[in-house]
Amino acid sequence: MFTLVTLVARWCLLLLLCIPILAGLLGVIFPAMGYFPAIGANAFSMQVFATLFALPDIGQMMWLSLFTGLGSTFLAVLAAFCILATFYQSSLLGKVQGVLSPFLVFPHASAAIALLFVLSPSGIFAAISTRINGYFSHVFTSSFVNETALPASNEGALLYDDTGLSVLIALSLKEVPFIILMTLSVMSQPLVKKKLTGYVKVGAALGYSPTASFFKLVLPTIFSQIKLPILAVLVFATSNVEIPLILGPNNPSTLAVAIMYWFNHIDLSMRLLASSAAVLQVAVSAVAILLFLGIERFVKNMAKHCLATGNRFFADTALRSCGFAIMALYIILICAMVYTVVMYAFAKQWHFPLLLPEGTTLLHWNTALSALASPFINTLLLGVLVSTSSLVLVLFTLESEQLKPARAFIANAFSLSLFLPLLVPGVAFLYGLVWFQQLAFQNAVWFHTYIAHMVYVVPYVFLSMAVAYRKLDNRYAMVAQNLGKTPWQVFYHIKLPSLFSAIMIAWALGLAISFSQYLPTLLASGGTIPTVTTEAVASVSGSSTRLTAVYVIVQAMMPLIGFMIAWYLPVFAMGQGKRQMHISNYSRATTAEPVQQARINKSKNKSKKGRN
Amino acid sequence: MLSLEEIVIYRDKEPLLQLSAEVAKGEVLTVMGPSGAGKSTLLQAIAGQLQAPFTLAGQIKINDVVMNNIDAHLRKVGIMFQDALLFEHMTVGENIAFAMPNNAHKNKQMKRDAINELLAAVELDGLADRAVTTLSGGQQARISLIRTLASQPEVVLLDEPFSKLDVALRSQIRTWTFSQLKARCIPAVLVTHDKDDALAAGGEVIELR
Repeated sequence: MFTLVTLVARWCLLLLLCIPILAGLLGVIFPAMGYFPAIGANAFSMQVFATLFALPDIGQMMWLSLFTGLGSTFLAVLAAFCILATFYQSSLLGKVQGVLSPFLVFPHASAAIALLFVLSPSGIFAAISTRINGYFSHVFTSSFVNETALPASNEGALLYDDTGLSVLIALSLKEVPFIILMTLSVMSQPLVKKKLTGYVKVGAALGYSPTASFFKLVLPTIFSQIKLPILAVLVFATSNVEIPLILGPNNPSTLAVAIMYWFNHIDLSMRLLASSAAVLQVAVSAVAILLFLGIERFVKNMAKHCLATGNRFFADTALRSCGFAIMALYIILICAMVYTVVMYAFAKQWHFPLLLPEGTTLLHWNTALSALASPFINTLLLGVLVSTSSLVLVLFTLESEQLKPARAFIANAFSLSLFLPLLVPGVAFLYGLVWFQQLAFQNAVWFHTYIAHMVYVVPYVFLSMAVAYRKLDNRYAMVAQNLGKTPWQVFYHIKLPSLFSAIMIAWALGLAISFSQYLPTLLASGGTIPTVTTEAVASVSGSSTRLTAVYVIVQAMMPLIGFMIAWYLPVFAMGQGKRQMHISNYSRATTAEPVQQARINKSKNKSKKGRN
Repeated sequence: MLSLEEIVIYRDKEPLLQLSAEVAKGEVLTVMGPSGAGKSTLLQAIAGQLQAPFTLAGQIKINDVVMNNIDAHLRKVGIMFQDALLFEHMTVGENIAFAMPNNAHKNKQMKRDAINELLAAVELDGLADRAVTTLSGGQQARISLIRTLASQPEVVLLDEPFSKLDVALRSQIRTWTFSQLKARCIPAVLVTHDKDDALAAGGEVIELR
């Protein structure tokens, strides 16, 4: 019975991931081919694509998407390997994870907004450099220079630049932690870990430096396992909307941002153009993947020659200094971002070259909190619903995998379908999905938004849960089963309690992913379910910087609180258990030894007296 | 009584091992052989835990009932490994209570008495409320044994259960185990590398190649 339930859950999960995406793709392919009955377009033709390619900026848009996506992914992969090679054998690894993890759970939107603040022409770095300039010019050229006349505009050239460099950097800043944490999770799988520890020991015994061992022994062993996550990162980077929207060039923008504008255009006929651009986006992401795979093959072939040269070092000093430099950059950026955002959120006024705001106020908090009340509840409700239900689905699926292992072919198809939502650009299939959803149940906005969130949350919850689940020694389950316990009892009494902390982490991750969804929320709800994230992105172009700062803080705090619960609840629950055990030990001791009992009574009396 | 009638275990389609044997109540059948000979796989087949790529032919009977298509949790076959595998989120007493069949005791007090009785039989009286992580290796091994016995199994399978214990403890735990099994008239199958284990078991010995 329970086996059947888990089997059903596995199929539900598969369908949940595949149907919306395939439907969504169909939903953009039809309009792209000129079929869109809502505006009377009934004939299939290639006319729309012709119009699309006739746009003057289309080449530049495609280039921007490809350049920022591929560039940021390469930069991030290099930086991540640099950091890992430097720290994987060091005791600082835990600290590195600690610094990078918050970056992983902060929503893209809030990271981009904070970066916007920091790097803007009136940001903290510009202010510091102006101050230093001002100080030196004051010292060296006496008091001729008027401080306010110092131009600060050059520092700001990084933002909204036509080349998309700021987008590239912001994307890779966000991707590095993901790649590092994915790699570490692969490296910590019991079998892999055992193998790698052995390899590194052999490497060291043969005189290879830790860095050389990482690139010659560790990386070749695990790369095939982290390739799929890296490709997901690549697709995400080529098609992301929030970051180019907040930091990127406007004229022209990246393809994904343009698609969003066209889809939201009042003129419905723009939908056709947008759909064809969405199909183009899939092609751009596919080209990015092919280019990445090509370069990977090239590097592999090159590396083969270097593998057996017997060189015991691998640019050790350079790589190590790079590793430390990148970590320093992260720490500086995080400090600057936190400082700027917090200061803005409480500032009355903050004029440019000053390092501190003039006066503090809670006014922005009052305004923001009253405006955010209902988005906050929406976000929370949606997040808890989505994360909890995907966790249940994922746990049952993992259990069904162990109760009734699927054949290799089906298992492969299944793991590919898990990555499907991460490998198909969201901006492409979400619009098509919305079209279908409007055809079917126009008013079930919550349901549509729920499905759109599930598509993104389930894969992450699964990936996070699967490692812990497969790590669990299955002999425990065997023992319990042969003690006469049904599969359900084994699952409920043995597996769930043993996995409690991992389950809580996966739940918090699900919450964080759901909180951070911008495009799926906006599209599936048709704008009728505002969340903290959609409000924050909207506020960048609208309201005051200080109000936006408050939004960013709220947005960043929400996933953090989820993770705090996930970290402390298991510790607390365990502490509770220990205390109970302690108490029962105590009472047993007291009944066993009357002398001790008497002593305790005495001390009780004493304490009573003391109170009197 | 456990009967293994013309058992053949296949890996994919290659036969891995073949044997026939009968184990009477209170007797221990010892199976020896090199690593990879399929000793643990045989135990998994008897326990009902055989997984792909392994398949089974022949009949496994307990008290003349064919077990081949019965689920693991309904077979009443207890299994013990070289690790004690006590559930760490439960106390010692909860581990034992978890193993007891439902409705085996009228009320909580009787259940508690039964647990204490089992503990007393292996000289671990009064440990019921301890966390399992606070126990020594030898204590854990004994708890693992009485946990298996608490489930009132009709057959017990021992998968090198003594191999992780040091020499002094080893013979003591071995004696405990075999005398408890004998006292309860439970047929057992022991898989081991150690000749001394086979001697102590005192039953039929099958060598796999």
